[in-house]
Amino acid sequence: MVLALLQSPPGFSPIDRTNEAASNQAANLAPHATPPTVTPLERLPLDKIKLPAGFKAEVYSFGHPGGRTMAIGSNGTIFMGTRQLGRVYAITNRDGKREVKVLLQGLTQPNGIVVKDGALYVLAINRVFRYDDIENKLDNPGPGVELTDKFNLPTEIHHNWKYVDFGPDGKLYVQIGSNCNICEVNPGIHGQIRRYNLDGTGMEIVARGVRNTVGFDWHPVTKELWFTDNGRDWAGNAGPEDELNRVATGQEGAFYGFPYCHAQGIPDPDIRKPNACAGVTLPAALTGPHSAGLGIKFYTGNMFPQSYRNVAFIARHGSWNREQEFGFDVVVARINGGRARIEPFMTGLLDEKTNMFYGRPSYVLQLADGSLLVSDETNGAIYRITYQAR
Amino acid sequence: MTFLFALFLAQASCASCHGEDGNSKIANIPSLAGQPEFFILNQLFLMREGVRPIESMKPLVKDLKDSDIDALAKHFAGLEPRPSGESIDPALVKRGSELAVTLRCASCHLPNFAGRQQMPRLATQRVDYLVHSMKEFRDNKRSGADTLMSNAVAGLSDADLTALAHYAASLGK
Repeated sequence: MVLALLQSPPGFSPIDRTNEAASNQAANLAPHATPPTVTPLERLPLDKIKLPAGFKAEVYSFGHPGGRTMAIGSNGTIFMGTRQLGRVYAITNRDGKREVKVLLQGLTQPNGIVVKDGALYVLAINRVFRYDDIENKLDNPGPGVELTDKFNLPTEIHHNWKYVDFGPDGKLYVQIGSNCNICEVNPGIHGQIRRYNLDGTGMEIVARGVRNTVGFDWHPVTKELWFTDNGRDWAGNAGPEDELNRVATGQEGAFYGFPYCHAQGIPDPDIRKPNACAGVTLPAALTGPHSAGLGIKFYTGNMFPQSYRNVAFIARHGSWNREQEFGFDVVVARINGGRARIEPFMTGLLDEKTNMFYGRPSYVLQLADGSLLVSDETNGAIYRITYQAR
Repeated sequence: MTFLFALFLAQASCASCHGEDGNSKIANIPSLAGQPEFFILNQLFLMREGVRPIESMKPLVKDLKDSDIDALAKHFAGLEPRPSGESIDPALVKRGSELAVTLRCASCHLPNFAGRQQMPRLATQRVDYLVHSMKEFRDNKRSGADTLMSNAVAGLSDADLTALAHYAASLGK
């Protein structure tokens, strides 16, 4: 046993330890496919989208299959990361219309993208690239500066498509997922949020015991980090529910429970430990069973009503490990200290009667005018949400 | 027109390796007959994009249009899958069937391993190709359409993978 562990690469986790019979779920649940093909304008589900009174959705862009994460350059270029298609897109404005180009391709799951000081950072599992002055090189970005060796991120791919962003401290915050559904991971390597200096030095662990966060943002007033986290699968249709978590000031490095404790204190049925929830920072809010909350952004714009100031918009990608589908929407999290209340915002993409979905909201991004972009991975489209008082 | 072109392409380029009827007779080359249409389409996209680089496939996929890929996917999905003729070891089939339950293979590939959507058909696939493919996932050489496969086979021995391959290949329709 000891020998086997020694022979394993660092950070390597044993395979899932799930009791499939105990989950009492349909055996044929499986992840949904993402089309690599373009969904034409007339087939986008715009007419399905429902919003509160005064809000309106329009198609901002389309023709970027698999586009998920969004980052904006100072000239207004929207960069989009993907997962399996391996592309990074650049979406520019010309004469009021959007132009889509494939900026990079052939990468492994380049979900981690962020822009700072004119440079685009792309994180694809363990590989890290920086493309300087990118908005002036959209036709020929070149090979970029590869920083992979400086960051030395784990190479396991599962749950390690990255989410990255720059914090108020100017450091690069990076997701390191747990590379299984439920298992013991090496806590020194997996299940974390880390922060780094731009050159890959000065690594610090900001959050531990995180199953798989693929979205975080900082509260505009408190500057505290808030992150979504996807709960485990194959433990029943009811959850454990996904989480919205806060890293309180001074609590950097706190433990959020994976794999022993989920949601508001549910011990894991497969990975057992006495006092499983002792010392665990519990979530600020639950975000629904298997709902897959991905992108989160706090709203700081002036277009939406005052009551939306400093709320967090969360894109829920939607369930797969659940017999009755759940999510496929955008919700609002209203923050009150260390707690949050979840309310519906953008709905209509899930038909509960037929158990069919029409799109998968993945990430949100606020534009300078205060409108909100929502990416739809399934349809390779971005919707823009505006508000006008009636 | 495109469909005819795809048929021509399938006969001229694909058949020499993947078989006249889409059932491969060559070691480590997969059979494509009866694969889910979306699976073939998706994999050809990933090969063309360079996400799944296969040297021998590169020149064949680089100039394919989306409509060609669509037609090829329809073509191969419509062909009848047949066993490769490799010898199947009943003891390995039994061991593989037990492993498959533990690993929950059927949740994606379905109980008859016919596959669906982005998940390939495994039933009647070549044993040697299945072993080759699962090793690639295990050894982090292939990410696949979803990363779940790399997790599903993590830590398995070559003997485990061989048993799984024998079980999958033994399944009919």
